[in-house]
Amino acid sequence: MAEQIETAETTRNRTAYWLIAPGAVWMALFLAVPILMIVYVSFWTQTTFKIEPILTIASWKQFFSSETYIGSLFTTVRLWLIVLAATFVLGYPTALFVGLFVKSKTLSTVLLVICVIPFWTSFLIRVLAWRPMLGKEGAINILLQKAGLISAPIEALLFSELSVVIGMTQIYVVFMVGPIAFMLSRIDRNIIEAARDLGASFWRIFFKIILPLSLPGVIVGAIFVSVMVLGEFATTAALSGRKVNLLGNIIVTQVGSLKWALASVVGVILTIIMGLVIAGFLRVVDLKKEL
Amino acid sequence: MAETISNISLSGVTKRYGDVTALDGVSLVLEGNEYVSLLGPSGSGKTSLLRAIAGFEAPDAGKVTVFGRDVTHLAPHKRGIGFVFQNFALFPHLSVYDNVAFGLANADSPPPADEIRRRVTDMVRLVGLTGLEERGVGQISGGQRQRVALARTLVTEPRLILLDEPLGALDANLRMRMRDELRHIRERLGVTFLHVTGSETEALAMGDRVVVLDRGRVAQFAAPDVILNSPANPNVARFLNRYNVLSGALRGEAFASAYGDLPYGKRVESGDAAYGIRYDRIAVVEETAPASGVGIPVTFVTSEYLGSAVMYFFEAADGHILEVEHHLGKGRMPEFRPRGKYRLQWKPEDAIVFG
Repeated sequence: MAEQIETAETTRNRTAYWLIAPGAVWMALFLAVPILMIVYVSFWTQTTFKIEPILTIASWKQFFSSETYIGSLFTTVRLWLIVLAATFVLGYPTALFVGLFVKSKTLSTVLLVICVIPFWTSFLIRVLAWRPMLGKEGAINILLQKAGLISAPIEALLFSELSVVIGMTQIYVVFMVGPIAFMLSRIDRNIIEAARDLGASFWRIFFKIILPLSLPGVIVGAIFVSVMVLGEFATTAALSGRKVNLLGNIIVTQVGSLKWALASVVGVILTIIMGLVIAGFLRVVDLKKEL
Repeated sequence: MAETISNISLSGVTKRYGDVTALDGVSLVLEGNEYVSLLGPSGSGKTSLLRAIAGFEAPDAGKVTVFGRDVTHLAPHKRGIGFVFQNFALFPHLSVYDNVAFGLANADSPPPADEIRRRVTDMVRLVGLTGLEERGVGQISGGQRQRVALARTLVTEPRLILLDEPLGALDANLRMRMRDELRHIRERLGVTFLHVTGSETEALAMGDRVVVLDRGRVAQFAAPDVILNSPANPNVARFLNRYNVLSGALRGEAFASAYGDLPYGKRVESGDAAYGIRYDRIAVVEETAPASGVGIPVTFVTSEYLGSAVMYFFEAADGHILEVEHHLGKGRMPEFRPRGKYRLQWKPEDAIVFG
């Protein structure tokens, strides 16, 4: 009997391995190997027109001795923090409404779908659509002038760090709303009524019950937003007028001029930052326990 | 209905959801320091009544006073009423101690920290959870969770506790133990418990008095033995699950049923006509045996062994199933032939007629 059970279990395990095999092979070939390759290439010798597999730390030295590159490292971190904060501040109340305050499951699903509708158009169109909105003669400036709130158009709206923050926040906020709304919708309403019955005020209930119980959603949302913002280059390219350079933009530029070694250095640095950020978030909440 | 400072009074409480009237002018007076069970089938308005008293939903009409204070339009936590939820609704991210302390620590004007600690520790001891204070509520058993839910409410010192099917989430064994426990805890604190249940056995066993709710109205409010021995109407008799309820019409000294005229002993004034005979007041005799008292011919269908008693199921000529309970203390278990013809007999004075 015991033997039979063991056999059945072994078969099941073997089937399980077959299920994971295509994914594992794919990830090994197109993720693990390329990452190792990038690390390797970052130590190659780069001359103007060619790159040779002779190990050197010249590219690393070049990155850390250049004010431009270090500057863009800080810009990346700063912009990431600003966009992360903006998506949280904008996304949490939305998620609170969709996930907790809307009582009908149907309505809350409809609202979530509405949040996703912008994804029906391409990323580039969504980014570029901000130009006629934010430009000197764009929709926002015209409206503000017509309303008599400003006399001259605000030029800082477009081709500035502000326009990049606005664009990224709009594009990524939904990744914050989704996971938070999901966690909020799983909170047993009786728990909130119990807290109310025990005499806790709205804010007490929010900080002691609702926020802690939705924290895993915040963490998942923050990981989504962070990974995407840290690797960004398109929004900055389209909306900053080349004034804002993220690490992603440097990679694009370097690859464009066939400077593979330096591009690899930036790639490795970006990967390390992302790894640290994700590890940091995962320390806050034990997702295994929560999901 | 007299409202005094020592009781909880509901007068004409009405609640509608669209076209459905969940509560239809409910009036009740609960005394301080008593255990009241609230019995009703699902959809009878039990939960709506509890939520209206607790203040989670405002009634469309009527008045709720708690110890002399009109609380009809007061927020739940200002009513001095505790609520124990059916699924306990514990805070999943907090420890046993923090769950119990929640109401005190998060009050508008919380008591000093050492008083909170003393009261929480005392309450944890009272419900028998000492030593488990630091456990998460996911790491304790169902019965222990029930105690946490109770302690969490009791620690805020309400004088009325509403319990919404508090034993529903426990397995049968634990349910019996918790029944005792609930009564003990209540007696020690001298508060009023209003215990909602769909189980007639639980309602009769737990309550000093029992409220029977039927379609949003109070059908009967009396001591358990009164309810059992003289149900107020045929529906109450049906919920009790102790009566065969036969339909027909009341005609003077007899009840005209599908099985002929049945004599009866006691009559209860009621809008609906019915004839009730308790499961355990019926004798089974051979079809050919000499008749005595009231009797109707039946066919044996099946039996169900309950441990201390056996339930026998018989089919009357019109297909109606009649139940007979035989207590094994009264003798060994009789055997009946499958599909055998018998007659059910009882004394007229054991039967109740409604009408």
